Amino acid sequence: LHFHFSWFCFVCQRRGQFHSLHTCSPPALPVGRITALQALEFWKKHFEESGVTEPDLSSHYIVAHSLGGKTVQQRKLTEFLSREKTEQIWKLCTKRLSRMPVQYVIQEWDFRDLTLTMRPPVFIPRPETEELVELVLTDLKNKPSSGDTVQTCLEVGCGSGAVSLSLLSSCPQLQVVALDRSQEAVELTKENASRLKLQDRIQIHHLDFMTEADEACSRCSPVSVLVSNPPYLFSDDVKTLEPEILRFEDPFALDGGSDGLTVIKQILTVAPKILSDRGGIYLEVDPRHPPLIQQWVEANVAELRYVETRPDINSRPRFCVLQKKQRELDVK
Amino acid sequence: MFCRRALVGFPNAKLFFCDRFKHRFLRSLKFPKHTIQFHNGCYTRTTRTLHTSAPLLGAKLLSVDELFARKSLQEHLKKIQSEYNQCLQAVNHGGAEEQCREEEMRTRRSKLSQMVPLIQNIMELDTKYKEMAENEALLKDPALKELAELEKEECLQHIQDLREKILDQLVPEEEADLSDLVLEVTAGVGGQEAMLFTAEVFDMYQGFAQHHGWTFEILENAPSEIGGLRHASVSISGSESYKRMKFEAGVHRVQRVPKTEKQGRMHTSTMTVAVLPQPTEISLTINPKDLKIETKRASGAGGQHVNTTDSAVRIVHLPTGVVAECQKERSQLKNKENAMKALRAKLYAIKLEEVTSKRYNQRKIQIGTRGRSEKIRTYNFTQDRITDHRIGMTVHDIKSFMIGQDLLEEMNSSLQEFSNQEALMEVLGENEREGL
Repeated sequence: LHFHFSWFCFVCQRRGQFHSLHTCSPPALPVGRITALQALEFWKKHFEESGVTEPDLSSHYIVAHSLGGKTVQQRKLTEFLSREKTEQIWKLCTKRLSRMPVQYVIQEWDFRDLTLTMRPPVFIPRPETEELVELVLTDLKNKPSSGDTVQTCLEVGCGSGAVSLSLLSSCPQLQVVALDRSQEAVELTKENASRLKLQDRIQIHHLDFMTEADEACSRCSPVSVLVSNPPYLFSDDVKTLEPEILRFEDPFALDGGSDGLTVIKQILTVAPKILSDRGGIYLEVDPRHPPLIQQWVEANVAELRYVETRPDINSRPRFCVLQKKQRELDVK
Repeated sequence: MFCRRALVGFPNAKLFFCDRFKHRFLRSLKFPKHTIQFHNGCYTRTTRTLHTSAPLLGAKLLSVDELFARKSLQEHLKKIQSEYNQCLQAVNHGGAEEQCREEEMRTRRSKLSQMVPLIQNIMELDTKYKEMAENEALLKDPALKELAELEKEECLQHIQDLREKILDQLVPEEEADLSDLVLEVTAGVGGQEAMLFTAEVFDMYQGFAQHHGWTFEILENAPSEIGGLRHASVSISGSESYKRMKFEAGVHRVQRVPKTEKQGRMHTSTMTVAVLPQPTEISLTINPKDLKIETKRASGAGGQHVNTTDSAVRIVHLPTGVVAECQKERSQLKNKENAMKALRAKLYAIKLEEVTSKRYNQRKIQIGTRGRSEKIRTYNFTQDRITDHRIGMTVHDIKSFMIGQDLLEEMNSSLQEFSNQEALMEVLGENEREGL
């Protein structure tokens, strides 16, 4: 396999041989035609040598996406790639060389049953959050009031819209109000809502829940569910994050203050004003948080009752479930 | 060792099978698609299959008439009728004495209602026989002869239909026949060539699934360097999917000059197909505490700390050590669901093996739920023929066969018919054993 040394540099967006080398010098395009399998093998090796994490998966998902699928079909492995496809693969893989997350490189990812558009710096949904949605759905279906009545849910920090849109997609009776402090997030959520034809049941507002909570309250009448995957990392931990996150994802979606609880506490403080009686709160948190949250709520938010902590798929305490007490009846 | 018991019922059976006669027999033994579950006392069964036997030289598919000519069948029908009458009597007169045995009464009543369709058909058949006999007399009258001839034709048709229905109702249905399945293909002996062949067989089944409108979800696959397949696992669901696919389980053998062969020599390679029925919630319940679920995000804090595209899920069933994993999907939740599907199918297969291995079974159409070591089919590319060894059926035009449509369908249907006949023979055979 011989590679001709003339390349298109994606850093300065110019073709040529006589300009200064950048710190990243991406591999040149192959001269002859190559198969999908050869492209996969080449880039896997190159990612490994460059210290890119998950080299085989990165290569796999990028090649698959270029071929029009989510995963590479076994029969396509030995097919020869067209010039365009080869260029596309090289272009995308070069982006990955800069440690851009695969989800941003191919501009999409799956969350539960949905395929969502992804775009930096909007936070990329994590697998744990799929289970947060599962929790909410289970409770929604078990609620005695459900059935014909329309229920409303508030999501604080919607990001790409993963949680809100999953809920809407599984619950035809649900309406959602989604908030995010990032304009990019609001736009991305709107885009995903349109793509999935769910735009009629969701309202998306550009609001910072830390400073504009009252405004948020006025935008939605009492809701029966409040769900959030708020920034919950400890500020100190943020510095140790891998390049994929540090260089590309919105730090405001990650940093929860020195104890990781800044936004969580705000949500829990404001929640009683937004929730209807016996309304539920579902939060994804850091594994160290649940006992701290329980303690704090019992001491500071009389209107809320801490219901339970639920583990994620790896048995870490991950989800906090709380409920607004029914007024007049609870005299505890 | 092989099938001696099955041959007991064939006193005059010819032990060869000609392609020429195949079509005539197959057409005369049209089993309708709809099978009614029939519990008949001691020969209720949850599943058929399993052990292998050496393939017979060939087998004859009996026609409806031949089956009905058998004494064992007639006696069996009589036995069913007397059982029904006994049951009926017990239910009608039971009220007074057996007030406390409510459970027994309920079972009797349900058993009765299950027997009703078959009994109705048997009674209708008897009526038709009488009509035929009466009609015979009219044939002698020259004035009514033509009319009588027409009557006779019609009567014969009815009798044929009823007989087919009754045969169908006598064949016990397997518990797993209504379920979906997990298909596993694995390359066997033959290196790269075996893996190439595995990929071709995989494609054939994908075509077959499409032909039937079944869903075909790949759970995991491991390709080879030159476009072959080491192994793959697929979840197939749809109407009668397990019922048909179960006949594909076993070792498939290919004879040809491989693509990888430089000297033009013929090679024989193999691949194995395993068909695992997908159990319902009721047939297999798993305690969540028995499961250990592993993902790549297990170490560290997970959550917002880590971004990853590795959503593979691996589930270990601790009591048995059975493992299932899936990494085909980009969503971890979906991978977990698929891994659970595969796990349930594997555990169910083990459960079925335990149940059926206790039964002494010498049938020819053996359905290996875990892909046993018997060669069930040979694909000879040089001679352009496919031979199924269990029924001695040969088909030509490998290229068309491996598209997975009509030719495979035909072979599959033949296997089904033979299997039904064997099941029927077993039911009748057991009847003979009881000395009735």
